[in-house]
Amino acid sequence: MLPTTAQSIDRATALVAYDLWKLYGERPVVQGVGFTLNPGEVLGLLGPNGAGKTTTVGMLYGAVNPSRGFVQFGSIQVQSNGRSARAKMGIVTQEDNLDPDFSVMENLVHFAHHYRISSKAARQRAGELLAQVDLQDYAQNQIDELSGGMKRRLVLARALINHPQIVFLDEPTTGLDPDARQEFWKLVTDLKQRGCGVLLTTHYMDEAQRLCDRLLLLQQGQVIDQGTPSELIDRTVGKEVVEIEGVDVAELQTLATQAGTWCRPFGSGYLLALPPNPAQLWEQLTSTQPQRLTRRQANLEDVFLRLTGGSLQ
Amino acid sequence: MKSPAITAWGVYSVWHRHAMVYRRTWLVNCLPPLSEPIIYLVSFGYGLTPLVGDVTYANQSVPYLNFIAPAMIAIGILFQSFFEGAYASFIRLNFQKTWQALLTAPLSFAEVFLGDWLWAATKGMIAGSLTGVIATVWGLYPVWNLFFAIPIMLLGSLLFGAMGLLTAGSIRQIDQVNIPIFLLIVPMFTLCGTYFPRTTLPPILGQIATILPLSSLTDLLRWNLGLPEFWWLKLLWMITLMIILRAWQFARFIPS
Repeated sequence: MLPTTAQSIDRATALVAYDLWKLYGERPVVQGVGFTLNPGEVLGLLGPNGAGKTTTVGMLYGAVNPSRGFVQFGSIQVQSNGRSARAKMGIVTQEDNLDPDFSVMENLVHFAHHYRISSKAARQRAGELLAQVDLQDYAQNQIDELSGGMKRRLVLARALINHPQIVFLDEPTTGLDPDARQEFWKLVTDLKQRGCGVLLTTHYMDEAQRLCDRLLLLQQGQVIDQGTPSELIDRTVGKEVVEIEGVDVAELQTLATQAGTWCRPFGSGYLLALPPNPAQLWEQLTSTQPQRLTRRQANLEDVFLRLTGGSLQ
Repeated sequence: MKSPAITAWGVYSVWHRHAMVYRRTWLVNCLPPLSEPIIYLVSFGYGLTPLVGDVTYANQSVPYLNFIAPAMIAIGILFQSFFEGAYASFIRLNFQKTWQALLTAPLSFAEVFLGDWLWAATKGMIAGSLTGVIATVWGLYPVWNLFFAIPIMLLGSLLFGAMGLLTAGSIRQIDQVNIPIFLLIVPMFTLCGTYFPRTTLPPILGQIATILPLSSLTDLLRWNLGLPEFWWLKLLWMITLMIILRAWQFARFIPS
């Protein structure tokens, strides 16, 4: 469990992004992104690689200057007071940028120095955090002795050294095995429970669906839809979908149109959304004698497929 | 209210991080600046003195070892501050992602940059001071000359550290560090009045060598043998060059 120290949470502090734009030359990377992240909320930025998630996060903590728009964190304007804002933020970047020159414990203690935390207090805090991310037995190990999952947990511990009010997690579980991802998810849930605002970028829909209270779907730097995971699924896809292979496309398209639904290419076959009363369509689909026919619950991947025609991966 | 881009604490905090890394392996780190001048003084000094004899410098005859001792201090400063600025900063910037990590803390870009620069200068100062102590113990450089040479050594360290950081900010691959090394550092190391007076060079080459900043540093550090004519011009040249390089390197690093 992460700490529940009252000092760490200012429930009135929200982060608001106003109409953020980032252009590299003439090329827009982020286009008019705006949202509010409230304390105790997990907000997900979901999108494929190159959608502008990392650039958006960079603007949120002041590492990237927006071409237009600004970010307000409580009473702090991030672009002109990045240092003050970051003093209350925790940031987990996409890459493991742990200090290979230091041990696990030293990584936390020396990082705490940048926040003017005394050496004694830093050691105490580092000990607490290492216990919380289950790395207490590795305090004296070197960074290259840690697994990928351990490194990600240590980066998260480092981001929490200053009792942040808000935490940015930029694709924190990319490259981790399922067990390590589960462990990381638990830490994120704990952060939320202690009232910390969390902004999570990911292209794993299961991660977003499980952790996020609200989602912003990004494509080519633009928000193409937003809402809670269940809202997005219900509104865009419905309850159930069918994966189907080995049928005539024209016939499938006709069936979908007649049933008032849609289908999209999906892998080596097609994805078809089932209408609220799917019995007749299901019967018609089975009668086409497809090579494969799978009926399952709709998920965020299907939302993305419907909205963009592409997948998240 | 807008927070200042640079605070003393921020710069110190970045410098402190580098110092802590240095402290972990201080013995290994101190070995090159200690061993190099000893090796050079033994090999060049004892090896060449019987062949060269005394050297004429500032209208006086000077034992060869006394002539090269101040140059050893200047070379130590050049190598340590340049290589720290070029190699180590490039690695921290591009491989270790140390800059990226530091910029997630309440530090500004300018503080991270200045912290790296000051650390490169610190490495130069450590090398120059250790070499100076060896030269003093050897009886080749008066102790009070060394004491009053400290501001000159600091200026040289900042200048060559800036040169190193400019290199780190300008190259895309680590092998490209060799470009300034072979086009600038090695020519300075050999031609700037370090191992022989520049008066022995062909006039044009001697004038080119005089413009190179290591010549100014070496001449100023050789003040125990007599200050050169227009010494203040050399000092001004080093200060000007340092300011230009600092502005230039800052522009190379600043993010969009």
